[in-house]
Amino acid sequence: MSAPFDPNRNLANVSLRHVGKPLVRTDAPGKATGRTPYAGDYVMPGMLHAKVLRSPMPSARLVRLDVSKARALEGVALVLTARDLPDRLAPTDIPGQTGQTRLKTDQQILVRERVRYHGEPLALIAAESVDVAEKAMSLIDYDLEPWPGVFDPESAMRPGAPVVQGTDNIVARHAIGKGDIDAGFAAADMVVERTYRTQFIEHAFLEPEVGLAWVDENDVVNIRVSTQVIEHFRFIADAIGVPHNKVRIMGALVGGGFGGKEDITVEIYLALLAKHTGRPVRLEFTREDSFVGHGKRHPFILTYKTGVKRNGKITALDVRLVSDAGAYVFLSPYVLLYGAIAAPGPYLIENLKVDAVSVATNNMYTSAFRGFGSAQACVAYEQQMDEVAQAIGIDRLDLRRRNYLKTGEPTATGYRVPSAVWTERCADIAWQALGEKTPAKGAIRIGRGLAAYQQSYGRLTFLHDTSEAWVGVEVDGTVIVRSGVTDIGAGQASALAQIAIEVLGVNMENVVVYNSDSAVTPLAGTTTATRALYMTGNAARVAAEAVRGRLVARAAKAFGVPVDDVVLADNKVSALDRPDKAMSFADLVRLCATEGIQRSELAMFRAPFTDRLDPATGQGQAFADFTYGAHAIEVAVDTETGEVTVLKSVACHDVGQCINPAAVEGQIEGGAAQGQGYALSEEMIYREGRLMTPSLSEYLIPTAMDVPVVKSIILESRSGVGPFGAKGIGEPALTPVAPAIANAVADAIGRRIHDLPITPEKVVRALHGID
Amino acid sequence: MYATFDLDRPGDLAAALAILRTKGAVALAGGTNLIVDMRAGRERPQRVVSLDKLGVLRGIRQARGQVTIGGRTTVTDLLLSPVIAKTAPALVESARQFAGQMVRNTATVAGNIACGSPAADLVPPLFALDARLTLVSARGRRTVPIESFFIGYKKDIRRPGELISRISWKAPSSRSCALFYKLARRKGDAITVVGVAVALDVERGRCRRARVALGAVAPTVFRAREAEAILEGQTLTPELIESAAEAAAAAARPIDDIRASAAYRRHGVHALVRRLIGQAWEKLA
Repeated sequence: MSAPFDPNRNLANVSLRHVGKPLVRTDAPGKATGRTPYAGDYVMPGMLHAKVLRSPMPSARLVRLDVSKARALEGVALVLTARDLPDRLAPTDIPGQTGQTRLKTDQQILVRERVRYHGEPLALIAAESVDVAEKAMSLIDYDLEPWPGVFDPESAMRPGAPVVQGTDNIVARHAIGKGDIDAGFAAADMVVERTYRTQFIEHAFLEPEVGLAWVDENDVVNIRVSTQVIEHFRFIADAIGVPHNKVRIMGALVGGGFGGKEDITVEIYLALLAKHTGRPVRLEFTREDSFVGHGKRHPFILTYKTGVKRNGKITALDVRLVSDAGAYVFLSPYVLLYGAIAAPGPYLIENLKVDAVSVATNNMYTSAFRGFGSAQACVAYEQQMDEVAQAIGIDRLDLRRRNYLKTGEPTATGYRVPSAVWTERCADIAWQALGEKTPAKGAIRIGRGLAAYQQSYGRLTFLHDTSEAWVGVEVDGTVIVRSGVTDIGAGQASALAQIAIEVLGVNMENVVVYNSDSAVTPLAGTTTATRALYMTGNAARVAAEAVRGRLVARAAKAFGVPVDDVVLADNKVSALDRPDKAMSFADLVRLCATEGIQRSELAMFRAPFTDRLDPATGQGQAFADFTYGAHAIEVAVDTETGEVTVLKSVACHDVGQCINPAAVEGQIEGGAAQGQGYALSEEMIYREGRLMTPSLSEYLIPTAMDVPVVKSIILESRSGVGPFGAKGIGEPALTPVAPAIANAVADAIGRRIHDLPITPEKVVRALHGID
Repeated sequence: MYATFDLDRPGDLAAALAILRTKGAVALAGGTNLIVDMRAGRERPQRVVSLDKLGVLRGIRQARGQVTIGGRTTVTDLLLSPVIAKTAPALVESARQFAGQMVRNTATVAGNIACGSPAADLVPPLFALDARLTLVSARGRRTVPIESFFIGYKKDIRRPGELISRISWKAPSSRSCALFYKLARRKGDAITVVGVAVALDVERGRCRRARVALGAVAPTVFRAREAEAILEGQTLTPELIESAAEAAAAAARPIDDIRASAAYRRHGVHALVRRLIGQAWEKLA
């Protein structure tokens, strides 16, 4: 356990040469010049092209599947159906590194009999060209008999509802109980109860899923794939029935993940086809394949009942959460747990009750998405704060100030956060940074909103997370970092370089990072859960410090000075106050090499290992630490057409310590855009389980015309548990944006729209009651 | 992927028209609809006739009070043209909001008309201009008002092998004002939910000519003639404008789809016709 944050501890005498500077990222030149190969750029001689045939119906029984005509087509190498894979299932749990028991959520790889969602795969095809594979797809005959389905979680919980799988539709439950909820409500002057709803959304990464697989001379199945998680190799090996060391995953720079490449996508299909044909196989999803080929963000129904005193002190909070898990479990239990833990927000709630349930339906399955349940909770808790403030007639920021969780106080699960809690500072700064209010004109009303948040970084601590990195120095003084971490565009690899050179005193042009290979780079875990910098960054720092320790010891001996007096900077080694004592970094490394002093280190960083939370009360430690901050928004609402224009978007986050502030800004700006889509325009619409928004012309992410210049205000408390006091910013950047926009719209029009997205039509209905 | 087809790139119009007479041949201009439809398997032409070498079909001219543009003029061409800026400000406004930059660079005016979508953004402003279309085929040419071109959802009067070669309109007087509003779910690259173009000519304090053209609220773009009749010959008042807006909303025949409900579209017509007529009148009065 970390000691509680001491505000005086880290702020003095910090002098960083590379960390905290907007250095050119190691991945930038290749991307800027187009030389960086993405997973889809890899080809092999003699490779086959794959296609996946999917069910057009959301709930059905597969009565007949005849692939004989497809198999007979010239140029078709293989067609696989469930009959060809009688004993195989695909795991869908979180990939673990430390041997945790897997949840019993394995699913069919291809439909055996029951179709449970629109898009569930029926058959795999490998052919000499994409055209032939598509032709073969059209030659597969099948009969699907409609089967009673259930399409919303509330119906799915009712007795007699069709059961998606197993004995009932309850996928997971979590409860949190703290203090005395009845006494808390009895002490309240007013009780405010509201229900908020969020929608299915799609990650809409730039690069759809793609991969290339081949079986090598050692019978190892190699897969080059666009993924956040190379450590799915274990699940893939289990699914195709080979030992874990016979599957190797190589990543590439990833064209966006956001949680949508956290689960297995193309890998098992590729592995099966490559193993059965003995030839390289490439599978690339079209955008339309991608929309039906990976899980979505969970829609939540969030009911908040808040007891509050006239002075604004919240005395009790009762929260009910219902999430739509879709047809298969995937990460639903974990997403629900995150939502439950996040439910009270960044506030000290002494009397708290949370009941959370995740329910199976025949909608598309739902899984990880940036924010992972915490984002849905924030949509509700921050709108609820505005509703409570309005009900008791006090200023929205004042209500928050009276209730913010402060440094050292316990969270919903009774855990005292080890770092600084700068929520109030961030919220006040973001709010003030909105500046002068834009004047209203004609039918246009102006509104402002704010949302603060608490968002974990790092995995659930009962998952016993670890990460490894290797750092070595060559005899010419250059540095190599090796780590399995996947780089999904946020600069995960480059951050390791900046950390290593900070410790070793060399410059950015002298370091190379090798990453994302499950066989030859040390396993670093997943790039998910805002954990890559925290976990792998710490591992790289520890490894670099071990190397530094040996180098500095040798230099101290050479100089005849204490080790604490040795300075490594700018590729040079020197001694404090001894200008006569100096050598190049390369000379020092050579000296060590000739004497057999180890010039490399493999380090493992371990997050806190805890037990699961108390099942009855939900009390205990769930995470290592949290990030805090706020987002402020100004909107213009056209009260006649209902159109909402975001005029100002200001973020203020305490990131602990920037490794690269330009990368931090990138995360914040991306979060602002993605959060704006969540609030205003994005929705995967399923009607009776069928996807009605199958492409980017129906599914509307914000464009450059829609998003204003985002102002990023970055605070550094240097109090986080990441390297150099860093916290995580990947997910936090998104979390407060949508509720801030919802609050701004409500402020503009004097009515609240309780379900996202806030479309022009919903605004008009709220104002004019059309029908 | 794409179906198998033959591609022709004729170098002159006569050759293009000759090939277009053959069965299964379709014209390719900007391709922003055709290629998408071919990829999705909705269109399976046997022969694609690219018009990219026909420079004669591209260009903007003004002569004797008449503006004429070639059918293959792109949306970006419209935005760069001082002639269009002066003679068709509502068309410029619709071009500005048309799809995204890459599509604007290749999509053509004739293609936007010929695709027949009721949500085609360039069409309501052309209705408000009383634009005329020149249709050519191997058999000859004819000129028709744009209003009589559309006969139903994605249906028009073109005969097999006929192309829209030109679009022309009379340059408006200095006492006129034309406006366009695109109501959509987002600001860039969006499909229109309600498109409204209005044009007013005012002489001696009275509205001499009124045009109210509506997009995406009926099987085709159409003129709300009842609304126009309420305005023409009158000195406009808020009450008159309101009744014209009501008449326009009543004339709309919108549908429910995933972008918006019929009720919202009707509401949008009402609000936007009222707003645009009011703005145009204010500018001229």
